[in-house]
Amino acid sequence: MKLSEAWHLSRIPYGEVAYKSIIQTRSGMWWGSFGRSDPDKESRGDVEMAERALKIAKIDKLVVGVVSIITSIIPFASVFTQPPPPKLIIPISLSLAIAFSFIMLYAVQTLSSFVSAESSALLSTLPLTKDDFALITLLSFVRSVDYMVVGSIVSQVTLVAYLTTSPLATLLMLVASSMNVVFAVSIALLFSRLFYRNLLGGGRSKVSTALRLVFLLAWGLLVMGAGILFSIAWYVMPNLEKALLSLDSNPFFSILFPFSAGMTVASPVYPQATLSVTLAFAAMVGYIALAVVAGRWSLGVTMRISQGTGFRIARKRAEEFLVKVRSPLFGYVMKDLRISSGNPATAFFFALPAFEAVIVSLLMMGRAMLRASTILVATTMGGVVCLFMPLGLLNAEGMGLEYTKTLPVKIGRIVKSKALISTATYVPVPLALLGMAFMKSLTSPLAILIPFVTVLSIASASIIEIRLFLGFVAKRKIDTLIHDLGRLIVGVIIALIPEVAYVTTYLMSTDHLSAILIMGGVATAELAMASYLLRRS
Amino acid sequence: MRRTYTTTPLIEVSGLVKQYGSVQALAGLDLQVMPGEIYGLLGPNGAGKTTAIKILTGLVEPTSGWAKVAGFDPGEDPIKAKSKIGYVAENPILYESLSPRDFFEFVASIRKIDQSAANQMVTHLAEAFDMSQFFDSPIATLSMGMKQKVALIASLFHQPSVLLLDEPLNGLDARSSHIVKDLISLHAQRGGAVLFSTHIMEVAEHICTRIGIIYRGRVITEGTFDQLRSRTGGKGETLEEVFLKLTNEEAEVADTIKTLREAFYKDEIK
Repeated sequence: MKLSEAWHLSRIPYGEVAYKSIIQTRSGMWWGSFGRSDPDKESRGDVEMAERALKIAKIDKLVVGVVSIITSIIPFASVFTQPPPPKLIIPISLSLAIAFSFIMLYAVQTLSSFVSAESSALLSTLPLTKDDFALITLLSFVRSVDYMVVGSIVSQVTLVAYLTTSPLATLLMLVASSMNVVFAVSIALLFSRLFYRNLLGGGRSKVSTALRLVFLLAWGLLVMGAGILFSIAWYVMPNLEKALLSLDSNPFFSILFPFSAGMTVASPVYPQATLSVTLAFAAMVGYIALAVVAGRWSLGVTMRISQGTGFRIARKRAEEFLVKVRSPLFGYVMKDLRISSGNPATAFFFALPAFEAVIVSLLMMGRAMLRASTILVATTMGGVVCLFMPLGLLNAEGMGLEYTKTLPVKIGRIVKSKALISTATYVPVPLALLGMAFMKSLTSPLAILIPFVTVLSIASASIIEIRLFLGFVAKRKIDTLIHDLGRLIVGVIIALIPEVAYVTTYLMSTDHLSAILIMGGVATAELAMASYLLRRS
Repeated sequence: MRRTYTTTPLIEVSGLVKQYGSVQALAGLDLQVMPGEIYGLLGPNGAGKTTAIKILTGLVEPTSGWAKVAGFDPGEDPIKAKSKIGYVAENPILYESLSPRDFFEFVASIRKIDQSAANQMVTHLAEAFDMSQFFDSPIATLSMGMKQKVALIASLFHQPSVLLLDEPLNGLDARSSHIVKDLISLHAQRGGAVLFSTHIMEVAEHICTRIGIIYRGRVITEGTFDQLRSRTGGKGETLEEVFLKLTNEEAEVADTIKTLREAFYKDEIK
């Protein structure tokens, strides 16, 4: 079979992967219409739903491609803006690190549908040779990540060519960028497989629960690391530069990817016959070998998936059929927690509490004294992150929401369940601040009550956000995006009102007690209003 | 011996119209299912069977007309109506990442089933459907038949008064299919009502106490199998033959078969 023909046919399994990935992660929102039904929407049926999912996947891929170009370029901005410009080692290393995180995080979401192997089921019924079938599956895999891979490689190589005008540096950058995407995609594939295997195993044994927890923590740490890399690249840059300038005394960076790649690529422009450059070259040879192994492994996995031998399902016979009946609310909470943790695309929400605690601790670490204003800023940042949780929980419902609609469950109960989880993810923020308060002195002991009072406003914001999400039926994707952003802003405003009340009262009275009492009153009033709206659901 | 029950229907549908854009799925559907009845809803693809069942479950709102389940309107009083219903969809959509155990726990919690009753029912049904090997596996990894069993168990263990079953035997093996048919009969004998949509004429012929033929969104005729047969005037006719006659598809089917024979077996026919 010709490559062009195989490429054309690979659209079928790729479409299936994209469809499943979209439908699993977003149907709860984009086709939910939980609160009311829309006659036009119902007429769309499965065909239109599939078409929409594919359109969304295409737009997603395009957006992700553009974002991957931007994220690859950003670290180079300092070359044009920072006097004196840094050596290219740092922008190249950071660009590779950010592209790696970005590609890996995105690929995990798409590839979890790919590794299930069902995407090729339709093709397997056609009279294709084993090799053709494997080639088509491989190309469908390539299609899942093509835009962002090409985007990051082209932008990095072009920038290095422009900045160095050295053919050797450009060639080395091409090698480094290609290696980078091979590593990112291989790790994404590995994670997707691990996750899927863990999911397939099922069961409730202590070992499998512990394994799932370890996986979630590892995943959470990865997301957190990537998040920090994205958000604080500018803070990282000067420290990195300092560390890299003393490379001769610290050869560790020379052998660590992507710094080794940064040094190797920059070496034709900044020739230095130092031990570090030699070590970086040697490490690069090792990384190239590793990339070849990783690439072969990925190809092997792809082939095995195409042949349907990707996984063996080892089922464990149940000894009993006992079930644990909870109250309807906790039954729903348990279900929400289980489905969210069982999906790679939503599991990372479980990293949010750790993420929030780290943000808060980082903000506080450098301060000698905890001022009310610092606590307010930390509380706001933690709270805003947590307000993304309701959207994630609704998306995690996926198609299963259709079943829930047939159960005697009030919308209020669904809202309560999700608001409870969202609010619980905020709890590490006041705890982290309380921990800090024990270590540092406070300008007013009452200020430590701010994050605890904010628990109430986070609960109100979550309730109203979810209620607004559930009552909306989108006709076009753009409506959904505007709507989602609008609801998120509403959530943020609700969360901020009590803090604004605190600040205003304090500025007027310079009394922390009055400020905290007013803040508590406003937060309680918000919660009462949210509860009233909930009862009317 | 079948018992007789009150004359208040458990399922009641009147003048039900459902418009999907320019397509009319239901065009004034009327039907009633009494306690102790198994009502078979038969009709060609796109006749409106699934839409009718979805309206009764509260999944779809009618354009006009009304429906009641155990005296409750699923649109106006959805919680009460849904608590009386056991529903199995044509293609059960469940929470794929949950195991059947997780799923039953969720449904039992929402339906507020007593702990011991839930354990008893789930144990009996899971044993009957031979689910031990799949009870703790994610639903995503189960075969279609096994998913259907999960949906069936979830629809039965709160002992609903109304069963709405849309092609419930899809993908089931002979053993499970036999058990489901028995459970349906038992449910009716205990005073429940069953609305049963199927394409398998033999099943409808054997277990339904009354059959309604739905065509282009309305019931064109209903009655026992013998009553339907007498309306077409054909003694010894199967339900399939009766169905084709009543839906005026007999001649069309014969023409189609003739065309296909000519297309595929041209040489042999000559």
